[in-house]
Amino acid sequence: MTTTQATERFIIPIGPQHPALKEPGHFEFSVEGEIVTNATVRLGYAHRGIEKGTESRNWTQNMYLLERICGICSHIHSTAYAIGVEQLAEVEVPPRAQAIREIVAELERIHSHMLWLGVAAHDAGFDTLFMYTWRDRETVMDILEALSGNRVHYSANVLGGVKFNLTEETAETILKGLEFLEERTHHYRRVVENDAFFLKRTRGVGMMTREDALRLGVVGPTARASGVDRDLRNDAPYIAYNEFPVQLITLTTGDLEARFLVRIDELLDCYRVIKEIIAKLPDGPLTVARMPRKLKAGEVISRVEAPRGELFYYIRSTGGESPDRIKVRTPTLCNMGSVVTQAVGHNLADVPMILVGIDPCFSCNDRAIRIEGSINRRHDHLWSWSDLRQYGIDFYRRQLDYSGEINT
Amino acid sequence: MAFTNNLLSLLIFPAGLALLASGLIFQWADRKMLARFQNRLGPRWFQPFADVVKLLSKEEIRPKGAGEIVFAALPIIALASTLTAALYVPLFGLAPIFSFPGDLIVTIYLLSVLSLSIGLAGAQTRDRFSIAGSLRVFTQMFAYEAPFILALLTPALALFISGTEGSWEIASLVDVAATKYWFVLIMPITFVVALIGLMGKLELPPFDAPEAETEIVAGALTEYSGRGLALFTLARAVELVVGLTLIAALYLGGVGTGPLAPVLFMIKVIGLLIIVVMLQTLLARIRIDQTVSLWWRIGSILVLLQWVLLIAFRMLR
Repeated sequence: MTTTQATERFIIPIGPQHPALKEPGHFEFSVEGEIVTNATVRLGYAHRGIEKGTESRNWTQNMYLLERICGICSHIHSTAYAIGVEQLAEVEVPPRAQAIREIVAELERIHSHMLWLGVAAHDAGFDTLFMYTWRDRETVMDILEALSGNRVHYSANVLGGVKFNLTEETAETILKGLEFLEERTHHYRRVVENDAFFLKRTRGVGMMTREDALRLGVVGPTARASGVDRDLRNDAPYIAYNEFPVQLITLTTGDLEARFLVRIDELLDCYRVIKEIIAKLPDGPLTVARMPRKLKAGEVISRVEAPRGELFYYIRSTGGESPDRIKVRTPTLCNMGSVVTQAVGHNLADVPMILVGIDPCFSCNDRAIRIEGSINRRHDHLWSWSDLRQYGIDFYRRQLDYSGEINT
Repeated sequence: MAFTNNLLSLLIFPAGLALLASGLIFQWADRKMLARFQNRLGPRWFQPFADVVKLLSKEEIRPKGAGEIVFAALPIIALASTLTAALYVPLFGLAPIFSFPGDLIVTIYLLSVLSLSIGLAGAQTRDRFSIAGSLRVFTQMFAYEAPFILALLTPALALFISGTEGSWEIASLVDVAATKYWFVLIMPITFVVALIGLMGKLELPPFDAPEAETEIVAGALTEYSGRGLALFTLARAVELVVGLTLIAALYLGGVGTGPLAPVLFMIKVIGLLIIVVMLQTLLARIRIDQTVSLWWRIGSILVLLQWVLLIAFRMLR
């Protein structure tokens, strides 16, 4: 009877348009009654051609383009890029700039985790927690606005430093806001730990053992909730994390509750480290004296800890004004495999929780994808990198022809 | 003259238009209070009215594969049965419009027709979210229905046990209740079960798994639009009023007499609504399997416990 079962599967499609997803992604869950028996994922709906776009912009312009990969963790993208480029340019960023970068990075982490807490609560049908966390998230948005003038794309980095200073006045605003947030976060921790109805939805749901986490290559808070002690801020300190280290927070239970608690504990640690930086903010200039316009040929890998996990940048220069290749890998891609694995055997009702447990960010995640063995077999020819590059060049040349430009 | 009076009370007040309007006002109060508890602004008072009017004026799209007659009939049946149920309960603290021995049982069954219609409405379309949703509607119905019915029958049963004035007629039960202590003091357990059962029936949080938007979009009603959706919305609104009225009449000391009785009665009903809203604010949605185990493992046992207690007190006395 296995064959009939296979053909008569009842598939619940989630996405690309679905109330559970605020961004496009497509999941197919085969269910038997309420139990998920199989899960597949299809990504790539929000591919924006950013990597290709970087190749036709200069080093400075790319900072702004890459910052827009993600709306939530914009600063960490530009930081990863800036660190890489500064390494290629062999410039030393002044310590005050590094410290301000860390402040913004940690504020962004607060903002991201708060947002996640609300979204996750909403997926559990706990809208009260959702509304409260999003209300309180406004505080950190206000702080970021006071600091940078913007709520979302703070645009804090420039190549070789930061754009704005931290004045006494803003420092005071930050400390005041953090005090409020700290109090609220303690409250949310109690809710997440003690609310009986909420615990029914989180405790023991979406279990992932340490072995599984390592096998699936999971990163960030999702991995740390499964006892993987991996945090780039500790393992390979960048910007000012050497001077102002953060605490590595891990839990071993590996269920959804652990993912909540790890993120909430990280919030509390963020507050601590920001206060510490403000207290001991080093003096000095905000940018390097001179940032070269052209970079030497070479390649560099820069890794940073985004709110969702390890963010990876590969930057290659051939000595011009713009990069030869930039490759971005966002943490969501690493974590996506764990969703499909964990969902099997769970209730359909738990699936949105499991999905949101990794804090997915689809638009950040969607680079070029290659689908093997999929339904769509129109292009069975695999393109090599040079093919693609040539295709890109030809494509844009055709575009120029159309607009009347003269090409040779 | 009697005919005109009957017609008026059926179509205008207290049933009919007044009931529909009060249903929408209750729905607004529910949404507004929930919003205020959640630190939001919430809708303005005419929002539910506007929603219904707008839906009624919209085109209704019937999906492929849905039976034409059934698709159109189910919302009407749902609304008609909830409106009929309203005839036997003391709406706004006034005497029930119609009454006959055994109408308590009929009312309880009429109240179930809404869930049944919603479930069938989902099951007869080919949409996967609808089918999953209707599966949950039926599962949930079998979970809460038995404890809920038993809990509503308990006041009558208690009167029968005590040997005086027992009846299956709502009107006479309400009159008896007004002369005694509030039944909630004697039977607190079944009161709680009845109130929470009503939340299950209306698919309010935490029992909103059948329409969990993050999983199955709008559940069984995903394919409904326009008039059908408006009628289902109205049916739900009316059922909220009827259910709260019934519980308040049975458990919170009936209606009473005097010119102020209707006002006092409405205060009780609104008090119940506030409790319902608070529960909605406080609790996270529970999974459908957890709903079932909650009702069968705890709900029914509690009702039986209440009955055992009632009988035990009777024996001791």
